Amino acid sequence: MKSMPYEDADLAGSLDALRQDVARLETPSHVETAVLAAWDRAHAPRREELARSVWRKAAAVAAAAIIAVGLGQLGRELHRTTRASVEPAVESRTLLLVGEPILRGEPVRVVRMRVPASTLTGLGVRSAMGDAAAHVDVDLIVGEDGIARAIRVGM
Amino acid sequence: MQDATSAAVEDLGDADLMQKAAHGDRDAFAALYHRHHAMVYRFARLMTGSDNAAEDIVQEVFLAVMRDAARYDPTRAALPSYLYGVARHQTRRRLARDRQFVAIEGCASDVNEPVADGDVSATLERRQTLQRLRRAILSLPRRYREVIVLCDLQDVSYSDASTALGCAVGTVRSRLHRARHLLTQKMGCAVPSQEDHSRLTERCA
Repeated sequence: MKSMPYEDADLAGSLDALRQDVARLETPSHVETAVLAAWDRAHAPRREELARSVWRKAAAVAAAAIIAVGLGQLGRELHRTTRASVEPAVESRTLLLVGEPILRGEPVRVVRMRVPASTLTGLGVRSAMGDAAAHVDVDLIVGEDGIARAIRVGM
Repeated sequence: MQDATSAAVEDLGDADLMQKAAHGDRDAFAALYHRHHAMVYRFARLMTGSDNAAEDIVQEVFLAVMRDAARYDPTRAALPSYLYGVARHQTRRRLARDRQFVAIEGCASDVNEPVADGDVSATLERRQTLQRLRRAILSLPRRYREVIVLCDLQDVSYSDASTALGCAVGTVRSRLHRARHLLTQKMGCAVPSQEDHSRLTERCA
């Protein structure tokens, strides 16, 4: 496309001189520094996010592997136990509620205690063990607030 | 190895560099900056008459490139035209924001350029003429200033200018014709400096 000719030669000369003058203008170096710093700022979180994601995936894979190994071992153990026991042991247990009822899904802790059989008598439970001085194992069910909710007694 | 990578990036075309920058390639973005920062800076400097404003506009333009590289379509416009378009938009915003301020800066090259011993008078006269021409260009309405800066001072083709300005080639030609006419008039009589202009404005008020 042909450029339009100048009608004024003086103006053409002045514009040409200005064009040469302007061609010497350079962007100060600190502008480049600022622009590239902005780029780094904008892309740094993405890199961190990527690294975090990789670590998260690695942790998930490791956890899955541990669970798989654990389940495998548990399965083998159950299989062995089932085959070994000719008569399944029947265990009778009594649950005594001593506080607020335990809600479904409520997190609890089980604290195992060994107490004299006579202690159970005070709770209105008669131990199958004849000797009142003998010790029995008792599971104390403790709620999240630290207050006992129930006592489980093996009879 | 780093140099080899940089050299490979430098050899790529603008469209490829934009694509790489859109995918987070810092070298590609740096190559784009090195290739085009000067033309953006000169355009902004001529449009605003201010070094600071021009520096800010260059930053804004390349930040826009950083954000929108993925949206650039090389079939619609060559990258220089696209960058001029962004620079034009940023310049408009900047001029609108700074409308109330008075520019007091001269061109850095005027101050720093040493005067040749043998031709002091001619050099000073040349500087004076360039200063008057700059003022005359800055005093043009923006649509005329844009075509003068692009076509007469940055050697942008009419076709690329029309893409950057978002108008027909015929419009570029007619604006350029009108702009040159206005410049001739302004250069024919003394163009008032900003200080003179303020004084005149005060007198008229």
